Amino acid sequence: MPEVLKAPLVVEFPFTRSLGPVQSAFLTGLRERVVLGVRTGDGRVLVPPVEYDPVTAEEIRDLVEVAPTGTVTTWAWNHAPRRGQPLTTPFAWALVRLDGADTALLHALDAPGPDTVHTGMRVRVRWAAERTGAITDIACFEPYDGPPGEPARHTGAFADPVTGIVAAARLDYTYAPGRAQTAYINALTGRRTVGERCPACRKVYVPPRGACPTCGVATSEQVEVGPRGTVTTFCIVNIKAKNLDIAVPYVYAHIALDGADLALHGRIGGIPYDEVRMGLRVEPVWTEGARYPDHYRPTGEPDADYDTYKELL
Amino acid sequence: MTSAPGGREIAVVAFAQTAHRRTSDELSEVEMLMPVLHEVLDRTGLKTADIDFTCSGSSDYLAGRAFSFTLALDGVGAWPPISESHVEMDGAWALYEAWTKLLTGDADTALVYSYGKSSPGSVRDVLTRQLDPYYVAPLWPDSVALAALQAQALIDAGDTDEPALAAVAARNRESATANPHAQLQGAVPQGDYLVQPLRTGDCPPIGDGAAAVILAAGDRARELCARPAWIRGIDHRTEAHSLGVRDLTDSPSTRLAAERAGAFERPVDTAELHAPFTAQEIVLRKALRLGDDVHVNPSGGALAANPVMAAGLIRVGEAAARVHLGASDRALAHATSGPCLQQNLVAVLEGEPR
Repeated sequence: MPEVLKAPLVVEFPFTRSLGPVQSAFLTGLRERVVLGVRTGDGRVLVPPVEYDPVTAEEIRDLVEVAPTGTVTTWAWNHAPRRGQPLTTPFAWALVRLDGADTALLHALDAPGPDTVHTGMRVRVRWAAERTGAITDIACFEPYDGPPGEPARHTGAFADPVTGIVAAARLDYTYAPGRAQTAYINALTGRRTVGERCPACRKVYVPPRGACPTCGVATSEQVEVGPRGTVTTFCIVNIKAKNLDIAVPYVYAHIALDGADLALHGRIGGIPYDEVRMGLRVEPVWTEGARYPDHYRPTGEPDADYDTYKELL
Repeated sequence: MTSAPGGREIAVVAFAQTAHRRTSDELSEVEMLMPVLHEVLDRTGLKTADIDFTCSGSSDYLAGRAFSFTLALDGVGAWPPISESHVEMDGAWALYEAWTKLLTGDADTALVYSYGKSSPGSVRDVLTRQLDPYYVAPLWPDSVALAALQAQALIDAGDTDEPALAAVAARNRESATANPHAQLQGAVPQGDYLVQPLRTGDCPPIGDGAAAVILAAGDRARELCARPAWIRGIDHRTEAHSLGVRDLTDSPSTRLAAERAGAFERPVDTAELHAPFTAQEIVLRKALRLGDDVHVNPSGGALAANPVMAAGLIRVGEAAARVHLGASDRALAHATSGPCLQQNLVAVLEGEPR
């Protein structure tokens, strides 16, 4: 079996999320070192607060301040903190029921070791030095043996409430394209375009994805196609893409390589953008060290007859 | 609706799955899935064109591939367009959707499949992205950490202890020696703490895999399978999303789903439980009132193979396969989704008297 191709793939996305009135008050409160809960119809106080009663679905808005001290209801010792977690040294995950609350809040508990943590232990909030209105304004909990905190009677109304959060997320992957695409990419390194033929309908797919979408069977027979092909359809790009150093306007086209039953896409160069047309015959242009064609340019042949590519549109 | 109205009976008539492995990096998702689709169709003699409805379950986040489910559809042969749907959930919920479709009478046969490749990413971190994005996800509590909080709650409640959890792990992986598809079989060391109190042995293997089942209604099912596994009831229920609101030592949603699926009307002889972590089996046995006479996880369960997004559907498939073989007359299948058994599905499958 040939070597499996792999490449790092990082997916990053900053989600911008708006807050409802209860979430806004809670997170603004954290910024101001105030912990707020919400009272349900039957008198229970939920911390962290939600906007609808989890039992009755009733809208709940009655905010009530609770203490920054509380009791561990369950915990788990994290020997090896992972990226993004609240502490970089070993810590306990804990559900903490704050004094005045009826439910528990998940956060980190900074303790010397697992032997020093137990369910029922008393803890208090350690505030982050810089607070923005986010759950991470609580840096963590820490062991505490003093009296329960005395909550003030904050109403939950703040002068400058936070109305949204930006939640950054990053996930790291090792991308492996699989058998068919590995063969395709390996052939490209020799400047050859190799598709795969469906054993049932005989269509040649370029690039191959390993399965014929019409027949639902594996493609396996490798077929070299091109290098020349026909523009089946195209568009004119007028807006410059981020991180892409190509002068606009330029033409991006579907190109049916000779021998292929599926058009691939590529940029058309070597011709003014407003002269590109359906049926234009093109060939790939390789640049030194590139792993795929930089673009396609006209071959100078007469245009292909519409009937030769109409099934590939 | 939890039982078939108008007497329309629906059965699982075939099941297939991959050999689950730590990595399948030489295969794309569709390349991993396709042999399973062919195998399950072959078991019934059906072709893609004979299938009235297709429903799949998967998550793009697992392997970091956008719209991977549309690429996977190539393996079905979805052109010209077929009647098709997808859930961003375990395939057990795709099966639920297909079951409702068959109940309507719009379809007599359905193909249900799901797949997951956990190997390209870090599944512990990936699963944090399903959590409450305001209060929880910014802390990146990984799936093992959340399961460990549940395990500690059970230990504190006196429901289990570490030796009992180790025994759950050992029994499942011993059962898996009879399952050629399992990723972990036989004695596996309990190992060090991953997140205390859970040791590596208490946690599921991380791996890639796929599964598929075929559903059929009434006489169509009898034509396709010598002993169909009739779905006598199926239901799914969820709990509040905030962990601190829940009693982690219990699973009221499982109990309610089981009740609605008719699980308590008569005893079952077999139960396939989707408990990726040992402590969760303790919770489920209690919620489902399973006695010692019930054969729990003859396949080895999720502790032997846990291809995320497929492991729940595999529970239904394994339970059905026992009925097909005559090894079970009435089996319970359970699937879970979310942290600490947040959402649960229960199906009751029966074979006709022999």
